[in-house]
Amino acid sequence: MNLLVWTLAAPLMTAVAGSLGGPRRWNEATLIGGLSLTFALCLGTAGQFLGGAIPTAFGNTLRVDGLSALVLVLCGFVGWVSGLYGVGYLRRNDAGGFLTPRMLREFYGLVPAYVFAMLLVSVSNNLGILWIAVELTTLASVFLVAFHNRDTSLEAAWKFLVLGSLGLGFALLGTVLLFASAQGRLGEGMSALEWTRFMRVAPSLHPFTLRLGVVFALIGYGTKAGLAPMHTWKPDAYREAPSATGVLMAVGMLNGALYCLLRIHLISKAAIGADFSAGLLLTLGLLSVLVAMPFLLIQWNLKRLLAYSSIEHVGIMAVGIGLGGEAGAFGALLHMTYHSLAKPLAFFSAGTLAQLHRSSDFDKIGSGTLGRTPVASGLFLLAAVIMTGSPPFGMFFSEITILRAGFTGPHTIATSVFLGALVVLFCGFWYQAGRMTLGPDPGRNANTPEPEVVDLGMAVALLTALIAVVSAFYLPAPLTALIRAATKVVGGGA
Amino acid sequence: MTRDVLILCAAGMLVSAYLMVGQKALFTAIRLYAVQSLLLGTVAITMAIADRRDELFVMAALTITLKSALIPWFLMRVIDRIGIHREIEPFLNVPASLLVCLGLTAVGYRVSTGFPEGTQGVTHHLVGVALSMLLIGLFLMVTRKKAVTQILALLTVENAVFLVALGITSGMPLVVELGISFDVILAVLMLGILVHRIVDRFESMDVSRLSKLKG
Repeated sequence: MNLLVWTLAAPLMTAVAGSLGGPRRWNEATLIGGLSLTFALCLGTAGQFLGGAIPTAFGNTLRVDGLSALVLVLCGFVGWVSGLYGVGYLRRNDAGGFLTPRMLREFYGLVPAYVFAMLLVSVSNNLGILWIAVELTTLASVFLVAFHNRDTSLEAAWKFLVLGSLGLGFALLGTVLLFASAQGRLGEGMSALEWTRFMRVAPSLHPFTLRLGVVFALIGYGTKAGLAPMHTWKPDAYREAPSATGVLMAVGMLNGALYCLLRIHLISKAAIGADFSAGLLLTLGLLSVLVAMPFLLIQWNLKRLLAYSSIEHVGIMAVGIGLGGEAGAFGALLHMTYHSLAKPLAFFSAGTLAQLHRSSDFDKIGSGTLGRTPVASGLFLLAAVIMTGSPPFGMFFSEITILRAGFTGPHTIATSVFLGALVVLFCGFWYQAGRMTLGPDPGRNANTPEPEVVDLGMAVALLTALIAVVSAFYLPAPLTALIRAATKVVGGGA
Repeated sequence: MTRDVLILCAAGMLVSAYLMVGQKALFTAIRLYAVQSLLLGTVAITMAIADRRDELFVMAALTITLKSALIPWFLMRVIDRIGIHREIEPFLNVPASLLVCLGLTAVGYRVSTGFPEGTQGVTHHLVGVALSMLLIGLFLMVTRKKAVTQILALLTVENAVFLVALGITSGMPLVVELGISFDVILAVLMLGILVHRIVDRFESMDVSRLSKLKG
């Protein structure tokens, strides 16, 4: 079997092992071991790609080009850190006696299953398999959202599953219509839905059917990415999901869905020119950034704050792609990379804060947390600096790249609106983060948090802080090579 | 002959969607869904015979066993266990809903004329019905409160997508079709489990009560 198949088999086997249950040590070891191995295999596969090969498997069904390799590595990374943090999270909860054996089995089984689905998305070259894989990520995450089995988590899981399934129904219709637009030129059988084949026959696709298909597919996968106005599941799901799985959704699902959007966009671009789908993406992206604005300002919950910030970031990426050209694509992919590297820190520090205060609502956490829980609050402040795109961190540069692409292109008005929204979002996030961490200590009425201890969860949060900071100043050369390769796939050959 | 059967089945599916909109008893709504799926299966069989495409038989068999037997059986069991049999007053009353659906059907048919095959009789009807059903499914989704009705709305949308696939592509590749069916079954199972958990906690499956999370 080749490396690519092993990359997918590793998390799948971990999932099987995890769902069987067993002693705690064994489960922890398989989860961490399995996901570390998966990450290593992802790096290996990307290395093969950088070595000049195009890894494929099962004919051309799975195929790793530049874009796939980048998303694969980022998803592998996120799976790895979330596995590490997840073990720490469960240990903390186990000490509080909140966990039943069923919950443990669900967690150890579904997290690697989710990672598997996520990686399958990122290497799918077949639009049908792509759809199936995205549906699998949805199914794997439903019970992770409902994990705590509270009223609110059931509500969140229900909304998530219904909205997600509806979105995927749209995406399926989009796929069917794209297939139909080829009017039989794609041939028969499994390989007919291959993306590479679509690209080959693109100029002869029937325009009306294609446009309708692109609209449905963008709305469908946009739902999974959390683009406004299909974003409404996101705040609920992020609040209810444990932080370890929240980050899988915030980075994994987002990157995966963005990957799907890009594939559809590229087909449309090759067939009828970039304007149609780019315009749609620009509109959806701009709308997301604008929708996130008021909700950040009035937010009452820490994790929902992160959800709206994530809606903002996916909006930024969509705007980058929508503005078009190589610069826009480069900005968007750079943003995706920095976002994936920094988001775990935001989730783990916020998750630790919420666990220490036994709630993620701002009024229960209380203001001035820096005095009470200095490490977790400090880490969250650092995350806020990075996530809001402050210099000298990476997202500042990716946002500038996108803005530059916008102002030099034809969409100056849209870019101006985008810039204005970014400024408001910056202030909004800082208003909330500052109020919570730096505000006046409420004194004796304060919610006394549990004491901070350096456990596994905290150690992983520190590790992600290190990664987020270092990556701002030094991106390893292979990673930059991957970003460039992905940019060539997305933005090349205008 | 083939033509007539196809158009008859498509019309039957549309009628079943309308009846679902006008229906408050959940058991009947589930039976309507079963009939709808059976008709979809018949469309697939008819096309398989007419075009001599064997893989469509597989798809038809799958549709009939899963969607007109297994899923309805499972949903009925869910309802039986939780003991809630009727939809409460929807957000929009039945006559008004039916009028809206009439408008949606017109829209669906209008859009279907844009396809290259659109002017030919049978495809036009299949795609027109499918797009109308899609819109009606969406409409059901937003106006109904019971969790099971929302599942049925989702499944109607899904049937509509399959009908489009049959109408304009004469079926997707088989492997993909199998994968999709598998995913749909899983999704329905999970929805069923969630309904159980929701009823356990809220003693109701009125999803309009799921409204704590805002802002």
